[in-house]
Amino acid sequence: MDVHVMGVALHPAALRIGDKRLEEVVFDTAHDALGNAGISRAELDHVTIAACDELDGRSISSMLLAAPAGAYLKDEIKVTDSGMIGLCMEALRLSSGRFDLGIVASWNKSSKGPLEDVMRMRCEPFYTRPIGLNMTIADGLFAQAAGEAFGITDDEVCATVRAGYERAALNPRGLCRAVPAMEEIRASPYVAAPLRKAHQAPVTDGAVAIVLASGRWLKKHPGARPIARLSGIGWRTDAYNLGNRRLTGFESLKGSFGAALSMCGAKGFADLDLIELDSQTGYHEAAFRRALGLPKSFTVSPSGGPFAQNPYFCTGLVNAAEAILQVSGRAGAVQVKGVRRAAAHGCHGFAQQGNAIAIFEGV
Amino acid sequence: MPKNRAAIIGVGETVFRKHHPDKTYVELAQEAAVKALADAGLTMDAIDAVVFSMAPTQFMGVNDADKWAVDSIFAAGKPFLRVHTGGATGGSALHAGYAHVASGMYRAVLVVGADRIAETPDAQHILNLIWDRFYEHDVALNTVTMTALSTHRQMHFHGTTQEQFARVVVRARRNAMKNPHAHLKGIITIDDVMRSPRVAWPYKLFDICPRSSGAAAVVVAHEDIAKEVCSRPAFINGIGAIANTVFMGDRMGPSADTEMSEIPEAAYAGREAYAQAGITDPIRQIQVVELYDPFSSTQFPQLESLNFCKRGEAARLSDEGAFEPGALLTVNPSGGTLCTNPIGVTGLVRVADAALQVMGKAGEAQVPGVRNALATALGGSVQFATCTVLGADSV
Amino acid sequence: MEKTANKSDANVIYGEWNVRYAYSVGKVAGTFFEGLKRKKILAPRCTKSGLSYLPPRAYCERSFEPCDEWAEAGQEGVIEAATIVTAAFENLPPPPYAIAYVRLEGVNTSMINFVQGLDLTDVTAAMARLKPGTPVQVEFVENPEGCITDFHYIVKSVS
Repeated sequence: MDVHVMGVALHPAALRIGDKRLEEVVFDTAHDALGNAGISRAELDHVTIAACDELDGRSISSMLLAAPAGAYLKDEIKVTDSGMIGLCMEALRLSSGRFDLGIVASWNKSSKGPLEDVMRMRCEPFYTRPIGLNMTIADGLFAQAAGEAFGITDDEVCATVRAGYERAALNPRGLCRAVPAMEEIRASPYVAAPLRKAHQAPVTDGAVAIVLASGRWLKKHPGARPIARLSGIGWRTDAYNLGNRRLTGFESLKGSFGAALSMCGAKGFADLDLIELDSQTGYHEAAFRRALGLPKSFTVSPSGGPFAQNPYFCTGLVNAAEAILQVSGRAGAVQVKGVRRAAAHGCHGFAQQGNAIAIFEGV
Repeated sequence: MPKNRAAIIGVGETVFRKHHPDKTYVELAQEAAVKALADAGLTMDAIDAVVFSMAPTQFMGVNDADKWAVDSIFAAGKPFLRVHTGGATGGSALHAGYAHVASGMYRAVLVVGADRIAETPDAQHILNLIWDRFYEHDVALNTVTMTALSTHRQMHFHGTTQEQFARVVVRARRNAMKNPHAHLKGIITIDDVMRSPRVAWPYKLFDICPRSSGAAAVVVAHEDIAKEVCSRPAFINGIGAIANTVFMGDRMGPSADTEMSEIPEAAYAGREAYAQAGITDPIRQIQVVELYDPFSSTQFPQLESLNFCKRGEAARLSDEGAFEPGALLTVNPSGGTLCTNPIGVTGLVRVADAALQVMGKAGEAQVPGVRNALATALGGSVQFATCTVLGADSV
Repeated sequence: MEKTANKSDANVIYGEWNVRYAYSVGKVAGTFFEGLKRKKILAPRCTKSGLSYLPPRAYCERSFEPCDEWAEAGQEGVIEAATIVTAAFENLPPPPYAIAYVRLEGVNTSMINFVQGLDLTDVTAAMARLKPGTPVQVEFVENPEGCITDFHYIVKSVS
């Protein structure tokens, strides 16, 4: 893979961005990413966006949001799965030989509307909608199934959540919330047992944009300074139906991880310095660690992950931005020393039907 | 010169009609996928990745319906993503499928989608919801009025008449009789169009596409596989796409970069696709176009923007029969979008119908001697455009 | 609009979705709507490109910089495009009615709104009075509330 990161921008994280319209959020973030890269919009030859109409509160939301992402009179494609899948599409385009310089942008302003009802309407109408799945309920089923399969206790999940908030508190790019006490987490009511409210990373508003170039572009612009290299990427989607071992198989997670590792020439986690996981709940982090075979000593989500900010639709792309900051030595207070290679994970769909992994290396 | 060339080696379409009472959404997608695989002579094991083509899901009423479809199209466990650029979705999905193969990462990709526009009676209400909640939603914009406004300008600048647009509908419905998949088909007259119920000036009912349900799929493969398994692949020689501003008011008047009524987006996208495919003289090198034309007035500006004739000339050429099958340029031998519009996948149907012409598989609608075919798709406030040039030889 | 099959049809399962949203107005639209309450039409301008925009934007798509000035638009303008709607659409006003894109004095782009005060019984004749280039005037409702329907266009009378 010959794809290089030229710049990155994260919108200031917020529980609710109340003073801007969504296109103002997107413009500010894309504008900042171009500024960070030292590249003008005129130089881009394409734009990739990742967004969800229902969460944006507007049908064909890209009608309004393509131009704020920089796409005025540019070749633009939108994917709807997740911000991280936007990065996957962007990597393909930059590797196709047709495009050399682009921006990928994604956002989440679900404070605008009912996220759980949007998720509920992802149920097909015959078998699941009359019963009613949404993000929390699907994650509750996951918590039970994975919890039983891996022997994950409520105590471990609570401790995982607390540790996540502790790391998040140090991240200047996150919401810097107070760290909840263990008793508070343990006493939190069930939402979909065994999942407790406090186990869930609260959904927030945010946006992220990354400017990327092909190797061919870099050769033509010897003065340009990339800040990281995208060296491996992989994505897979599991079956929609949650039965049949779907909740405990982790096929798409493991398949994506394996594909990304093999593309960058890494043998396993030993060749990685850290991973930013898209752990929507404490159960997820505990289960993902085991599914990927990560030892306890392996650095997971130094940014705090979703406990720092969780703009649900693009949390995976935020993870990518954090991984880029780590390998380029710009992660500030949460910088891990000596990071050469960092992985970022994003997931989407009921109980994480889809997973994607991107691996970045320092330059 | 691209390192990894790609071709369409299989096509599948369901019949398009208002309702498919005997199938669910995912079963429709499955039908198209199965047909495309059979046409390509491949099983799903040979498919490395899937691109799903789907625009607003509010018509068929299940959010992220592509995720529901995963199980039915045998895609579980594979790389999978969905593309959505409004009406241009099917064209963008094909471009995304092309990128999968051109990147060298994947050898064979299934591009598939489905839609059921009449699953809801509220289709036009939904198309009012695509507009800006603050400035446009209350002012009765939908896709019909949006296009009516643009056509008003087209008629003002070029003197095009409603009868000239009606002739396009007559030709489309007649062509569609040779397309087993088309939704609307039959012999009608200009008078029939003119007497159909008025909707928003200058449109009458027959000037407007139907609300169709159905599915389509194509298999995109690396040139090496194409040459091995397919006797006449349709090589994807040129891809071009553009996004204009959503604000139609910015696309009119002295300060505008582009004039809306000309569908200039087709010019941008076409220029790029032509350059890649080595098309320097479209009228001579391209034998068939499958245009995205949900309204009777959409063909002329596109043909002009795509350099098949001078600005303002297409209506006269149409009147003279230049766009009939086998004439100067065969336009929409399938019947086009005027006869079939399953929005989320219409752009892919345009590509599929163009591919069938290049592959020699268009049956009764086959135009002889097709070396190159062009497919277009349009979306948003006619702000998104894709162009795809398919050829019998790879470039 | 046709209705779907009666509720006893075993081949169909019915669903209805009515999702409610609360859209943040933001500063730019907020300024515009406040202006409407005072019967003024305010348009943001980008000093880099020199373009001023209606409907209002926070940034200029062409220069890709924030719009940094406000100007009051004239209350006269010209039609760029128009149509008369004669079909009934669900959740839209009962026909017939006319809408048009109008470019107001001092603004580079045009903005859509209803055209009122025109006799629509003869659609062809009415359309002839709505050609591109036709001068129009803005008319406000008596008690504007800060929404786009606070004003509409009227065709200037021919003397």
